[in-house]
Amino acid sequence: MPSSTTPMTADFFKAIKLDEIDNSFQQELLDNCGIDLNTCLECGKCSGGCSNTHIFDITARQVVKLIKMGEVDSLLKMDSLWTCVSCQLCVDRCPASIDIPRIMDYLREVAYKNQIPATREQVLVFHELMLGHIEKGGRVEEGFLAMEFNLKTGDYFKDVFDPGMKMFFKGKVNPFTPKMKKRDETRRIFKMTSLRKG
Amino acid sequence: MNVAYFPGCSLHGLSRAYNSSTHLVCDKLNINLQEIEDWNCCGATAAHSLNHKLSVSLGARNLNIAKNMNLDMITVPCAGCFGRLKTASYELRNNPELAKEVAEIINAPAPVEPEVTNLVQFFTEQVGLEKIASKVVKPLTGLKVAAYYGCLLTRPSKVVAFDSPEQPTSMDDILQVIGIETVNWSHKAECCGGGYAASETDIVVDLSGQVVESAKNAGADAIVVACPMCHTNLDTRLGAIEKSRGVKYDMPIIFFTQLMGLAYGYSYRQLGFRQLLNSASPLLKKQGII
Repeated sequence: MPSSTTPMTADFFKAIKLDEIDNSFQQELLDNCGIDLNTCLECGKCSGGCSNTHIFDITARQVVKLIKMGEVDSLLKMDSLWTCVSCQLCVDRCPASIDIPRIMDYLREVAYKNQIPATREQVLVFHELMLGHIEKGGRVEEGFLAMEFNLKTGDYFKDVFDPGMKMFFKGKVNPFTPKMKKRDETRRIFKMTSLRKG
Repeated sequence: MNVAYFPGCSLHGLSRAYNSSTHLVCDKLNINLQEIEDWNCCGATAAHSLNHKLSVSLGARNLNIAKNMNLDMITVPCAGCFGRLKTASYELRNNPELAKEVAEIINAPAPVEPEVTNLVQFFTEQVGLEKIASKVVKPLTGLKVAAYYGCLLTRPSKVVAFDSPEQPTSMDDILQVIGIETVNWSHKAECCGGGYAASETDIVVDLSGQVVESAKNAGADAIVVACPMCHTNLDTRLGAIEKSRGVKYDMPIIFFTQLMGLAYGYSYRQLGFRQLLNSASPLLKKQGII
């Protein structure tokens, strides 16, 4: 007989009450992306194949489980959103073909739209600068993008000497990339798909 | 043979050697690469990471231009651009609601054609190994390399539908018919770290380091790639990889079209070998190729 001071199992493991789970996000994924998480076999092959699971705070398999349990808030703040390399190994190994990279993209998009801070700010800075290039000029100029990135992050000398200078002297860097002409067309695309209005 | 050609930003920038060698090799194979007129950036990781509709729309505009050029096939040398264009094309075919929205966004009908192929795929499926072999004037015997495909030439297999997603052989086949020996190795289709080159360099050094280590252990003298991102990550970070692992790998990273070009009789200089940070010259000289 456990004494009255012995902690009960219920104190460690909160019972999952199925009728109290909020599965609205699971439904949202099905409606917006056509991804049905009910087909998950819980085999863990997604995490097994994942390129970066060794640095993920929440692994691919846990992402699927947490969506089913309605724990979306922690997913929108997780570090894995900003370290996933989109290598497509998880979806390819999944016996149910659950498109986890698309789920990661969707979560990131929701986080971005709601201005939830990225745990790796510099990743978001790089994405935004790159999209800025495309919006303004239709194409990306790698050398200028790298310079802007250093200015924006304050890490002014990152990669400047090695490999930057080596690349310059080998003739790898091209400051005169051909420009796109009909830039109004890409601007229109950006305007019409803009997530953060105003 | 006419085909629409989508070079992408990198092939006009850091990976010009891939662009020039592709053009030279295609000349020899009588392939007329018609660059998609006034193409825009595919959006890369940045677009699909933050905005799905934007990513598909950027791809759709390029597909639409190619369609209006009356070409039924596009070939894309960059695995990253290939992945984005292929995904856009897949989404437009399979998601009529999205296709309708995209049509409005790009102010043109959402194109379900033309067919998008990567360059390795185009060479093996459309040109054929026999024709590739027939143009060889100098077989590159003595070279032992690891053919590195990276993530996006073969994945996601449902969308790409080309070769084996994790143990592909098509680039090995091309290299073999021009006289090169390719090794069996574990990291053929693992990730190099992709778009994190500048923003999360540690991830690139870690993942690319595993790729280089695995190629070296399999006995390769060079890694051969078909993607400018794989190339940039491996070539420019080799120094950092060697430093972090305390090993000197001595591993040139070469575009597969550069090696095809050598076998077709073009010069080291014409093929842009001088732009590689880790020179391939000692290796090629040792084998009497240059």
